[in-house]
Amino acid sequence: MMTSVSNSNASIHAMPNTWLSAAPNQLAGNHMTDIKQARSVALKQVLERGLPTVKNEGWRYTSLRSLLAQNFICTPSDDVLTVNEEAHTAIETALQPALETYRVVLINGRYAPQWSYLENLPSGVQIDSLNAVLNQSPARLAAVFTQIADTAHYPFTALNIASCDDGLVILIDDGVTLERPIELLHVSTGSLNQSVTPPMMHPHHCIQLGTGAQAQLIERFVSIENAGVYCTNAVLEIALSPRAVLRHARLQLESLNAFHITGLHLQQAIGSDYSGINIGIGGAWSRTDLITRFIGEQAHCEQRGLYLVGDQQIMDYHLDIAHQVPNCSSQEQFKGILYGQGKAVFDGRILVAANAQQTDANMTNNNLLLSRNAEIDTKPQLEIYADDVKCSHGTTVGQLDPDMLFYLQSRGLTRSQARQMLSLGFAADVLTTLAPEQLHEQVINQIERRLETATF
Amino acid sequence: MLSIKGLRANVGDKEILHGLDLEIGAGEIHAIMGPNGSGKSTLAHVLSGRDGYTVTAGSAELNGVNLLALEPEQRAHLGLFLAFQYPVELPGVNNTYFLKAALNAIRRARGESEYDAVAFMRLMKEKLRVLHLDESLLKRPVNFGFSGGEKKRNEIFQMALLEPKLAILDETDSGLDIDALRIVADGVNACRSPERSMMVVTHYQRLLDYIQPDYVHVLAHGQIIRSGGKELALELEERGYGWIEQVTEVAA
Amino acid sequence: MSATTDNYEHLVNAEYEHGFVTEIESDTLPPGLNEQVIRTISTRKQEPALMTEWRLAAYRHWCEMPAPNWAAIQHPPIDFQAISYFSAPKQTPKLNSLDEVDPRLLDTYNKLGIPLEEQKVLANVAVDAVFDSVSVATTFRSKLAEVGVIFCSISEAIRDHTELVMRYLGTIVPPSDNFYAALNAAVFTDGTFVYIPKHTRCPMELSTYFRINAAKTGQFERTLIIADEGSYVSYLEGCTAPQRDENQLHAAVVELIAMDDATIKYSTVQNWYPGDENGRGGIYNFVTKRGECRGARSKISWTQVETGSAITWKYPSCILRGDDAIGEFYSVAVTRGCQQADTGTKMIHLGRNTRSTIVSKGISAQRGQQSYRGLVRIAAKAEQARNHTQCDSLLIGDRCAAHTFPYIEVKNPTARMEHEATTSKISADQLFYCQSRGLSEEDAVSMIVNGFCKQVFNELPMEFAVEAQKLLSISLEGAVG
Repeated sequence: MMTSVSNSNASIHAMPNTWLSAAPNQLAGNHMTDIKQARSVALKQVLERGLPTVKNEGWRYTSLRSLLAQNFICTPSDDVLTVNEEAHTAIETALQPALETYRVVLINGRYAPQWSYLENLPSGVQIDSLNAVLNQSPARLAAVFTQIADTAHYPFTALNIASCDDGLVILIDDGVTLERPIELLHVSTGSLNQSVTPPMMHPHHCIQLGTGAQAQLIERFVSIENAGVYCTNAVLEIALSPRAVLRHARLQLESLNAFHITGLHLQQAIGSDYSGINIGIGGAWSRTDLITRFIGEQAHCEQRGLYLVGDQQIMDYHLDIAHQVPNCSSQEQFKGILYGQGKAVFDGRILVAANAQQTDANMTNNNLLLSRNAEIDTKPQLEIYADDVKCSHGTTVGQLDPDMLFYLQSRGLTRSQARQMLSLGFAADVLTTLAPEQLHEQVINQIERRLETATF
Repeated sequence: MLSIKGLRANVGDKEILHGLDLEIGAGEIHAIMGPNGSGKSTLAHVLSGRDGYTVTAGSAELNGVNLLALEPEQRAHLGLFLAFQYPVELPGVNNTYFLKAALNAIRRARGESEYDAVAFMRLMKEKLRVLHLDESLLKRPVNFGFSGGEKKRNEIFQMALLEPKLAILDETDSGLDIDALRIVADGVNACRSPERSMMVVTHYQRLLDYIQPDYVHVLAHGQIIRSGGKELALELEERGYGWIEQVTEVAA
Repeated sequence: MSATTDNYEHLVNAEYEHGFVTEIESDTLPPGLNEQVIRTISTRKQEPALMTEWRLAAYRHWCEMPAPNWAAIQHPPIDFQAISYFSAPKQTPKLNSLDEVDPRLLDTYNKLGIPLEEQKVLANVAVDAVFDSVSVATTFRSKLAEVGVIFCSISEAIRDHTELVMRYLGTIVPPSDNFYAALNAAVFTDGTFVYIPKHTRCPMELSTYFRINAAKTGQFERTLIIADEGSYVSYLEGCTAPQRDENQLHAAVVELIAMDDATIKYSTVQNWYPGDENGRGGIYNFVTKRGECRGARSKISWTQVETGSAITWKYPSCILRGDDAIGEFYSVAVTRGCQQADTGTKMIHLGRNTRSTIVSKGISAQRGQQSYRGLVRIAAKAEQARNHTQCDSLLIGDRCAAHTFPYIEVKNPTARMEHEATTSKISADQLFYCQSRGLSEEDAVSMIVNGFCKQVFNELPMEFAVEAQKLLSISLEGAVG
């Protein structure tokens, strides 16, 4: 912290060329000048600025070395990812549990209509693949695509915009309430052919809710059983119009071979209401940036999260909540359970700009360290330029209370059962916000299974 | 049922129990009384296997099985139950979920079949009715945000549900007003049976007005210095612990 | 409260009380920095060659280092060649008693209310006063010597206790530690040295007053305090500077070492000239303070009240190496006008059962900018380490800013750490309540702010606590409304 930053050249990694699209001219929407222009700006940014090293404040605890050690390739030849019979069954399994939803499935970052379900959509709701919309009616995304994402500060978002070709589009008209949740499933296989370099996907999702519109989005990242190595570099651009309401559950349940990056860029207009829950369980290395910009007053944002990190996993959550206008409120609550050689990073920033009076913002981060070699680095920040505000943050790092363990053991539970029960108890107030019930169960089962087989 | 012989136990380097002997037969209720710091809670904790105590000599057997070598949960599986003086709060851990896991763990250890959700709910509701407890108890996290009286009632409820062979009630009366005390005592009495023994640890005689013991033991300086019937408790109430210690010293 | 009100009365318009310049002939080196300047400083101070080399090594290192840019502070680049690195009141040599000190100098200290003289004998405070770069007088030295306590200027210590000083100097803050620490190591001209022998409780509070007087000078003092096994010392530091239009640089280094069972309590009331309301002038206070709890059960406690300086950049820290060691940091920082402060602490837990407490109270008014920046690191071997951190910011006015940048790194599963931070303003309800009981708005604010800081003031020795409260009231004078 007290050492000085050395010159900028030493503090970047060069951007590997193979991570970029090999055929940039053929990317969706590039027949439109403004889209092509936005992509080339992003490309220039990521090439010139490179990728950050640990000397960069936002990456001080998370090194890109293990990511760079993989020779990811953005545009693998089609046969690499051709879904064979075996993978077909694996995908069926990965789709469980079946939920009552409108469902969009991306297989290896590509829209897969055969697994998706979009029938009987009410009028005023468009759900489609990004590729289709950008190629056929790009004007519909004029207010969203590349308009909300911050490519200047988020190099992986810039990389995504420079190379993305598919993803999900949700456009909901003013006043429409969509009762049934929308489900977005990322199913990844990794390279099915061991001799080929692993793929890097850049799915890009655009979500726009009109004035007073309401919707619920369930987003899951899963891998097929025995998936190979791969990297998902996802970007979401979400625009909430006045008084729009979005409930958003994000579950990262990928295999321990997976690398995962998400940049969620959210823009909230007056009176809008976003509530997100982020569950991080899978992946070898993952980084999630949740960025919220308030552009209208009386808006409310909640971000909750639970991360379970062990088995030499690295999981990094960054939150940047910018209160740039008065009278907005935000609530951030993240909890972490760490074991094995797991390492978690939590970096949350609440910014209150000079005129953002009456801001009410609160951030908490609680961590449970279950074993010897786990590590947590947490950095909750408040940056406040207005005086009439109520802002706070609280952070704790601790372990299971021996009195609690003894109490449960004295009632007949084994130490391992007691540890599981208390860990789930620790996570309970975050998990209660996770709906529907089948998802809640899936997450609890996964946590239990992980803790059962974990070494402490 | 319970047989303790020459039990010595330390906390750190300090010996708290100096060779304690106690026999409790099936269906009997024994009250352990004594002044503060006499070792009452230590005895309860050593028997249930809490960390932080070192047994240096002696033995404690439950139906012929050496308790001292076992993990706390194994003691619970054998039928030992400790009603805590200060039950911990377990935020986020649902009471029903907790009780079902505990009861099934014990049943499994005994080679009995596990309860399914329906049968378990039926059983819980029945026990609640017997103890006059509200069903809302089941939805709350274990002891979390409970008043002192609610915590103690929850302990007794657990005892009713887990059906132990030997229940140790550690200062169950502490912090309770007279109404709460009566409710808790009624609960305990409802659990009495010829197969179930109880060890009631208390500082005051008043609990024994509601839970009638078969035997009363006075614990002082880590040893049982006097045993008798329930009239011993009344005598203590009247004359105080100073009297009995004096009498014992003279006798020694 | 009435006492505070009285203070207000006579302090109205007294923006910076210590802003006078003392007309004393000084012996000042021309501005500029090179190896020759460093050799000159070393020669003037009659230092051993070993020391000259130590300084030159630090200087060469400094030349290679870039100025730090990570703190949330802004200032034009500092021209290190425009600063004079040595300034001494002219007739310094051979002071045997206070009577020989220039009466105008004594008068200055009297104006500052510094306990140099008779009255302060009663207060039982031993004072080392540093005027610009040179230590002027150390009182009570003989009385301290009776119990074996060494309390003298660091220049004297380098001459008279060379072996002892060189054993510890730069071991806690190495010259290469950071840009300003390297600069200090190269050019420091005076400061304080304290050694408390084994099993000795220092019989009085030790105190140093620093004052920058000459124009275009920098002040680079260096303090080294060693508390040997089982000893105790409480050390107070106060700072003032005259009002000048240009910025002056103060880059001090403080090193503390506590052996087994030793306790060092280090209190600072920093009231350097903050610049005028438009941000002209004022001291750049770039200070490195660090203590090592080397021994088992040792304790270092930092308490600071920072109301002055145009820019404050300091992080009094504790390295908790010994088992069961305790580190504490209590801070009140006020920024008003155009003041900027980036301050906090580092608690590095290395030993078992080490405990640390951080209480930081920041008050920003007018265009004041303030950041708490802190690091709590619990190393893998620090079993059962504990930390509790509380950072509260109070904002007065809508053009000020308060930031909190805590870094928490935990590598041991038995650690327990809690961090809480809040930012708020004085609520209208609180003000109304006080006013409805008859207090003026200013008194009400003063009372609420004092309440806000109470936890920190409680850690200060009595006389300092009174002074700190007074200072806080003056600092907030006119800042409200």
